[in-house]
Amino acid sequence: MTSCEAGNPLHPPTQTELLGTSSMSDDQITVEVFVVEMQDPKSGVKGADQKLNVTIIPHVINGQDILAWIVTKMKVTTEEAQAFGTMLVAYGYIYPLQNHRKLVLVPDSTLYRFQTPYFWPMQKWPAEDIDYAIYLARRNIRKKGMLEPYEQQHYDNLHKWMNPKWDFIVMQATEQYKASKERKKPDRVVLDCQERAYWIVHRPPRRTHSAMDYGLDRLIDPNAEEVLTFDMVRRTNIFLTQALMRSAVKSSVSLTAFVKYVTTHHNHDPFLTTPVPSNPWITDSDEFWQLNSRSVDIPTKLSVERWVLSFWELISDPRGRVDFKLFLKKEHSAENMAFYEAAEEMRWGAASAIPEKSQFIFNTFLKPGAPRWINIDGRTMGLTVKGLVVPHRYVLDAAQTHIFLLMKKDTFYRYLKSPVHKDMQKRALVPAPHVFTDAQLEANVRNRNPGISPILLWQQEEEEKAAAAAAARPIDVKAMVATNKLDRK
Amino acid sequence: MNRWRRSVDEIQARKRQVTECERALEALCKVTACFQQMAISIGSNSDGSFLREEMDETRALAHRICTGLHRRLVPLLTERVTEPGQEDRLQVERMWVLFLTGLENLQQDLHKASDLIDRFPLKQRNDRRALVNTGASDGVTGVSARAASVQTPWLAVEVAQNPDLKTHITQIDALVKEMLQKVSIPFWAVEATQEAWVEGAQSQDAAHDQDETLEEMMVVSEDDQMSGCCQPLNCKLGCMFCLST
Repeated sequence: MTSCEAGNPLHPPTQTELLGTSSMSDDQITVEVFVVEMQDPKSGVKGADQKLNVTIIPHVINGQDILAWIVTKMKVTTEEAQAFGTMLVAYGYIYPLQNHRKLVLVPDSTLYRFQTPYFWPMQKWPAEDIDYAIYLARRNIRKKGMLEPYEQQHYDNLHKWMNPKWDFIVMQATEQYKASKERKKPDRVVLDCQERAYWIVHRPPRRTHSAMDYGLDRLIDPNAEEVLTFDMVRRTNIFLTQALMRSAVKSSVSLTAFVKYVTTHHNHDPFLTTPVPSNPWITDSDEFWQLNSRSVDIPTKLSVERWVLSFWELISDPRGRVDFKLFLKKEHSAENMAFYEAAEEMRWGAASAIPEKSQFIFNTFLKPGAPRWINIDGRTMGLTVKGLVVPHRYVLDAAQTHIFLLMKKDTFYRYLKSPVHKDMQKRALVPAPHVFTDAQLEANVRNRNPGISPILLWQQEEEEKAAAAAAARPIDVKAMVATNKLDRK
Repeated sequence: MNRWRRSVDEIQARKRQVTECERALEALCKVTACFQQMAISIGSNSDGSFLREEMDETRALAHRICTGLHRRLVPLLTERVTEPGQEDRLQVERMWVLFLTGLENLQQDLHKASDLIDRFPLKQRNDRRALVNTGASDGVTGVSARAASVQTPWLAVEVAQNPDLKTHITQIDALVKEMLQKVSIPFWAVEATQEAWVEGAQSQDAAHDQDETLEEMMVVSEDDQMSGCCQPLNCKLGCMFCLST
């Protein structure tokens, strides 16, 4: 505690100490020393009297004077002094009198006043909820129920959670109210301003940025010096030797790959190019997502261009996958895609469904004479069938990779040359970019809707899958003969 | 017959003790409120030896009330539940919870006050320059009078050893810890008797008319600055014209 230093003008605290202050343990004391110097009647900021309706309240200071004093005292530029001054206000060492919700230092004739040391922010004594409850109750008594909406919310919350202590809170609030009435009127104004400023810093309303948002409480003190132990050094050594032993790719190679990726995907990235029609996160209009959804009839030109880039892009875009499956249906070679999807389902699905799914997949795709037999090489087939005896999540990995590569190297190129795809390229639309005025943007925010429920989407997908499975079932010749469809008459 | 009369006496004695404790709790609230009002002024320009002395006296009074209340509440609670006259058990538990909350509140105020007194000692003359100019003038006389008007509700005069601040803090810390361990009453079992928002509705109009002007005063100050209001001390009426300009 710097009790002996408080009265004497010290050498001014160094810039680095004070400007780097965002946590408050060692540097807290230097900030307080600074504030004490600032209010010194002889060498500090010059105070004036605030004229109110029926009284004069002394010790009010100007924003301009504060800024000038900080500049001369700390010998910094105006911008740094402005930032430092704003920090002082945001922490609550000084509070603004006029616009009490905005905790900034405005360098003109706006008025500020020093906060009493009882209400200075102290890391050891964080602002407790019970104190806030007493304050709100007292304010309620004073204003007869006319609290601000955020205060009302806090009040209701605290009444619910601090219910056992509520009687004490109300009693204490009434007593404090009566005790404060014993003071003279200008003092009461000052005390009221002080307390209000304290709670604005520690329970800020919306859009007020106080400096108290320091995040989560950490178990280790970030200001404490970290002592390097033998164990830490040993572990660092092990890590670094292992890192050296790894085979590394030359940076020129990896960077070339990176640059190639960025150039190919340049137009598709929402950060590098503005998406058309508009970025939904910015303009709150979800037309972009609707145009690129699974069930849309005509996709956008940008999506179609993206599908051409690689097979993986085609598969991962839901609309692209629909298109690819359409092509496969025309070619009557849909079993590859069906197997791929079934394998994905097994891989990502519930563990309890694995035996049943593996049985289904074996019967449909893998057994000799299966209705949708896939054409994989003998070795992979042998491995898969052997693994299916005791199925686990990844038994179909080898077969799935084989099928994927098959589709990528063969079917994909046929798809690109197919009339299905070329037709789609011609029909793909280019949406017009949105131009929203401010009023329209606000209207967009108000009209935001949650969109189609994912449950509904899932149900639609299930129905489509069932329909596809029904369509893909082998044609029962006897049934067709019975219904006279094969009759050539 | 004798047994019945004896238990009636016991019930009456117990009731008397319970009301005594209630009044002591109210007194404790009063004293802690006054203490907090004074503690707010430590380190500001209205600080002084007078304030510190008043704070000491208030603190001593609070200490007496706390120890007395503690001494009376504990036996009320540690009596066996099957004893007759335990209908007010809920009330006594409620008082226990409120007493504990009050003690914690006082404890925090004492810690803060002790910190601030360490930071702003008033031993030397030029220490007064270090006191922060907050705009408050000395106004604690009313508050200290109010604190002095609080009396302990029990008639017996007990031995008063007024501890100084540090020992008081350690004593209260020990008291709180001991209370938490001795009687295990779950906090959540106590319900508030006050509904929310009720205290704002009960008001005495005469007193409140004064208070509305506080807000108005703080807002009006902007207009005053801009129009450069002249003698505000003298013209209570004249300010109406100032506002209109």
